[in-house]
Amino acid sequence: MDYLIQQSLNALSFGAEYALIALGLAIVFSIMRLVNFAHGEVIAFGGYSLAVTGTLLTGNPWILMACVVLACMAVAVVLERVAFRTVRGADLTTGLLTAFGVSIILQNLFLLLGSPRPVAATQFIFLDRTLTLGPVRVSSLQIYETAVTVAAIVALLLFLRRTTLGMALRAAALDFEMVRLCGLRANRVVAGAFAISGFLAGLACIFIMARRGSAQPHMGFDPVLSAFVACVIGGFGSLPGAVLGGFLLGIAEVAVLILLPQSAGGLAHAVVFALVALILVWRPDGILSPAREKGDKL
Amino acid sequence: MSRPRLNSAQRRGLLGSALLGLVVIAVVGAYYLWGEAWQARILYATFVNLLVVVGLQVFMGNANITSFAHAAFMGIAAYTAAICVTPAAMKAVSLPDAPWGLNAFELSPLASAALAVLITGVLGLLTGLFMARLNGVGMTIFSIAILVIVHSIFLHRTDIFKGNQALFGIPKILDLPQLTLMVVAAIFLARLFRESRTGLMLRAAADDEVGARAMGVDVFRVRLVAWVASTLFFAAAGIAYAFHLGTISARPFYFNFVFLTVAMLILGGLRSVSGAVFGTLLISIGLEAVRWLETGPVLAGVKLPELLGLSGLALGGVIVAVMAFLPNGLMGNREIDDLVLRRRNGG
Repeated sequence: MDYLIQQSLNALSFGAEYALIALGLAIVFSIMRLVNFAHGEVIAFGGYSLAVTGTLLTGNPWILMACVVLACMAVAVVLERVAFRTVRGADLTTGLLTAFGVSIILQNLFLLLGSPRPVAATQFIFLDRTLTLGPVRVSSLQIYETAVTVAAIVALLLFLRRTTLGMALRAAALDFEMVRLCGLRANRVVAGAFAISGFLAGLACIFIMARRGSAQPHMGFDPVLSAFVACVIGGFGSLPGAVLGGFLLGIAEVAVLILLPQSAGGLAHAVVFALVALILVWRPDGILSPAREKGDKL
Repeated sequence: MSRPRLNSAQRRGLLGSALLGLVVIAVVGAYYLWGEAWQARILYATFVNLLVVVGLQVFMGNANITSFAHAAFMGIAAYTAAICVTPAAMKAVSLPDAPWGLNAFELSPLASAALAVLITGVLGLLTGLFMARLNGVGMTIFSIAILVIVHSIFLHRTDIFKGNQALFGIPKILDLPQLTLMVVAAIFLARLFRESRTGLMLRAAADDEVGARAMGVDVFRVRLVAWVASTLFFAAAGIAYAFHLGTISARPFYFNFVFLTVAMLILGGLRSVSGAVFGTLLISIGLEAVRWLETGPVLAGVKLPELLGLSGLALGGVIVAVMAFLPNGLMGNREIDDLVLRRRNGG
């Protein structure tokens, strides 16, 4: 029983991390049809900013958390301004490849200015303690992660429903042209989307740093790859889809790890990706994608 | 229709491929005249990349869908060819634990290459059946899934693939002259595919899928054909790689290689075979220069610092700059013959 609870908490926390990142990808995609490959480097930037501010400024973890989230938001908005504004409205491939180039540039900047070896930043390690709840021993980090993700999703929901910018974002996902005709500035809406995606990446970054304790140029790559997969399972660009896909992926990953014999542990990744491929064959546009005819205005 | 003949676009295609072939042969000739021995390796690697990029153009360029799976297919072909062609005595040392008697047989180079092409092609067909059903982003993610799955199998089955260690003892079968022939042949094939009926339908579907369907294009079928055709190019590249280097490992068949080849293709321009060729040559030359800078050379008496990561930075910079300023690459929709015959085309 406690094994079951432990593993389901594992699945939830994995899923929460993927959902946070996937939401960031989906919100940008829904508005400007950009597959943001550089999202992982936003997370890595957060990691490095923690390493820098943590050694130079303060050791107070609460201030540092704010710094990490702000750094991620800032870099996401700057990337939009510098790199992605030029390809707004271009076709999918152009945007995807631009994001992909930005990601390579940032990774190599980290390599050039930092170091190929991990840079230690252990300020958030204290989040990860083993708690004993009755018979069950769980990691506190996993509880925080799940709770924060749920809170972030609720906050995002309120933001999207109650504020002008939030409503503009939702409307822009349906018809950007119309939003502009209603008098909202396109640049502001898109920058808002990137800021939110940076905010979510910052939250994810805090948890990733708490687990790793060090920043590395490629640290964002694997989580974002999984988040992409989550987005695709759920239906690319759909926000509920991103959350659903994230949690499904977390569950699948933990299930595969449990079910697969120990000797085949290295194949867990392969099995998860194969499952994803099968889902895509069953529903080419993802689970929660709206029924849409080819040629409809997007 | 008494007898199928090449239409004018296809005749232009032959001319264009011949011109590109001359460019390739000129590069090789320059190497034999003035090159130094250590450059042979670079040139060989460039030509292997050229095979991959031309193959990538066949699918990615004509269908305008980004795929990252090519390194996986190249790896499959390279390993198949290597395992088949390595003498059994050598495999007893290099692959002592291989299952299914993989280390107890050997094939001739030709048979090994044929088997590698066959296996890669069959896998291409199987994945293609799923792949061709998907739309833009789904296809890209699916191709990443293929890449990740194949890579983790390479890493996991160390008894067959040696993982990140080297599989050694592969006889050296191909050298620059044979590879040059392969590259020229690949250029002709890719260009003829582009101008063929299927290629034209594929390009039409890329420009306007709904319109193409309305005109009776079977988008699934043409995408499938292009996907399988491009995996055959990757198979050729993998075989050329394994048959020259003598050792292979799983590491080169992953994201870094994918980034490099995709950058080459988009610098030249996805949509034309000439773009693929020029992009590959330009990036290969540029990277050699940047790599030299990266090691911290002494320039005009000043010792420059070692700059690890500069080559990657340059590569990313090229991609972003091309996408921002020349979204269709250097060549855009043009082929080399369009540049040479511009006046006749305009008149």
